[in-house]
Amino acid sequence: MDAELAEVRALQAEIAALRRACEEPLAPWEETSRVQKSFREIYQSDSEGWKSSKDLRSHLGHLESELSFLSTLTGINISNYSMKTEDLTSTEMTEKSIKKVVQRHRLSGNCHMVTFQLEFQILEIQNKERLSSVTTDLNIIMEPTECSELSEFVSRAEERRDLFMFFRSLHFFVEWFEYRKRTFKHFKEKYPDTVHLSEGASSHCMGIRSASRPGFELLIIWKIKIDEEGKVSPKLDLLTKVPRRALELDKNRVIETAPLSFRTLLGVLGIEAALESLIKLFCTEENN
Amino acid sequence: MEQTNTLCQDGESKGGVLAHLERLETGVDRSRKQCEELQSAQAVGSALATKIHKLRCLRDKLRAEVKQRQARVKASIANVEPAQTVEISEQEVLEKKQENVKAILQAYRFTGLSGKLTSRGVCVCISTAFEGNLLDSYFVDLVIQKPLQIHHHSVPVFIPLEEIAAKYLQTDIQHFLFTLCEYLSAYSGRKYQADQLQSDFAAFLVGPLQRNSLCNLLSFTYKVDPRDQAFLFCARLLYKDLTVTLPTDVTVTCQGTEALSTSWEEQRAAHEILFCTKPLHQVFSSFAKKREMLNMSLVS
Repeated sequence: MDAELAEVRALQAEIAALRRACEEPLAPWEETSRVQKSFREIYQSDSEGWKSSKDLRSHLGHLESELSFLSTLTGINISNYSMKTEDLTSTEMTEKSIKKVVQRHRLSGNCHMVTFQLEFQILEIQNKERLSSVTTDLNIIMEPTECSELSEFVSRAEERRDLFMFFRSLHFFVEWFEYRKRTFKHFKEKYPDTVHLSEGASSHCMGIRSASRPGFELLIIWKIKIDEEGKVSPKLDLLTKVPRRALELDKNRVIETAPLSFRTLLGVLGIEAALESLIKLFCTEENN
Repeated sequence: MEQTNTLCQDGESKGGVLAHLERLETGVDRSRKQCEELQSAQAVGSALATKIHKLRCLRDKLRAEVKQRQARVKASIANVEPAQTVEISEQEVLEKKQENVKAILQAYRFTGLSGKLTSRGVCVCISTAFEGNLLDSYFVDLVIQKPLQIHHHSVPVFIPLEEIAAKYLQTDIQHFLFTLCEYLSAYSGRKYQADQLQSDFAAFLVGPLQRNSLCNLLSFTYKVDPRDQAFLFCARLLYKDLTVTLPTDVTVTCQGTEALSTSWEEQRAAHEILFCTKPLHQVFSSFAKKREMLNMSLVS
């Protein structure tokens, strides 16, 4: 199973790199010969859309600011988009005034530290009464590929062929991800000797230990879960590490019930206060 | 397995046929369950294998594309004379950029959230979909000033827009927009399921489908076999969480005769679980398929 998952990740990374290579602008000499051709075409045609350079530049500026505004508004930055259309209308369909078209879209961009590349197909059928639009295929590649929490939700979005759910969940996931990183960083800065982020602030675990209490450690596991409906929520757990001697002295079974008590504490104090109270447990002696 | 004949009214023959039917149904149910269990175990393994295959094909296709591009570049190097220097018109560059930017602006509609700048601020358009089907869109016209205000909108009155705006609009506009998306999307999905039930599976319903405007409380009476009036089920679906498209509370009761045979009780319980885990119209679609399978086995 692991080997297969590793292969999936390797394939996804390779596909992402290949896509980037495809999107790179063509070599200058190829571009100029194309540009020459289209320049001649436009010059020869009677297009009314002929704008002066100045108008074009200001219009472009306006469009670009609209784009950057949308990007700020949604938090989603689209860097590239292309589409191909294929007309599948048969002659019988045309007689019944039915139009059938397949659109193949390629979209890439990022939402904060997560980059995505989407390839999807939309089937549009237009008859006399209405236009129906159905997503018939969806392929998603996200980076960083090692983020296991993300790959779960990618497969879910692909199964449901739900683009909107993908972007919605992506937003909330990134929100929680950034919040977790900020929180871990904050505690690391406030209690540098007690808080240990062995895998960095972006990882899902935070260790609490102090030199004055060797052998004791609390490990906070903070995962970001995505359910079937695409709803994103945090899931926090507490792991304890204590010397055997302490376990024997623990008549009230505090260590054993710690994980459960932690859940209750979360409900009462909220995430930040709960974590801080646990950190302070290890700090009190030092502050004396 | 012999069933007790609660339906037996006149003689052995009637009880015999019904009992036979019940046995067949149980048999179909059991073999279906076994099949599904096996399938789901295999599915996990084969899903991964299929995914790997799909990714490999995509990667090979892209490799070929990249090779083609490289070949084209090589060919054009051979064709271009070293003395040929052409100036790219600034016009061309600008027009190309403009096309690109316009395309990306259009692409935002795929995120479900798109917006157009207005003289006062921005008009945000929220699109909804369910199972890949594009459904209704809603707009919210925002005025950019301190404090941010909603000028007007097309959000239905039963969606708690004011509540969501009060919580998030001033402090975190992205959160406001995506939360509103959640509510509208879920409402759209529930409405779609109820509409599908009424239009495609009307034959299974006895009486009207009772629904509220939020589509989060549904009540209806149905039969599993359109031709058989004997057993009616009453279902009540409640979606307490307004951001979900599957019910949070389901109650299915049996109408009809007094004491229930165990197989009908099993069905009733199974239906409750079905309604909790599958979209409404898919549940009825599975009823229709089951009927077909049963008919086929009777005929054979």
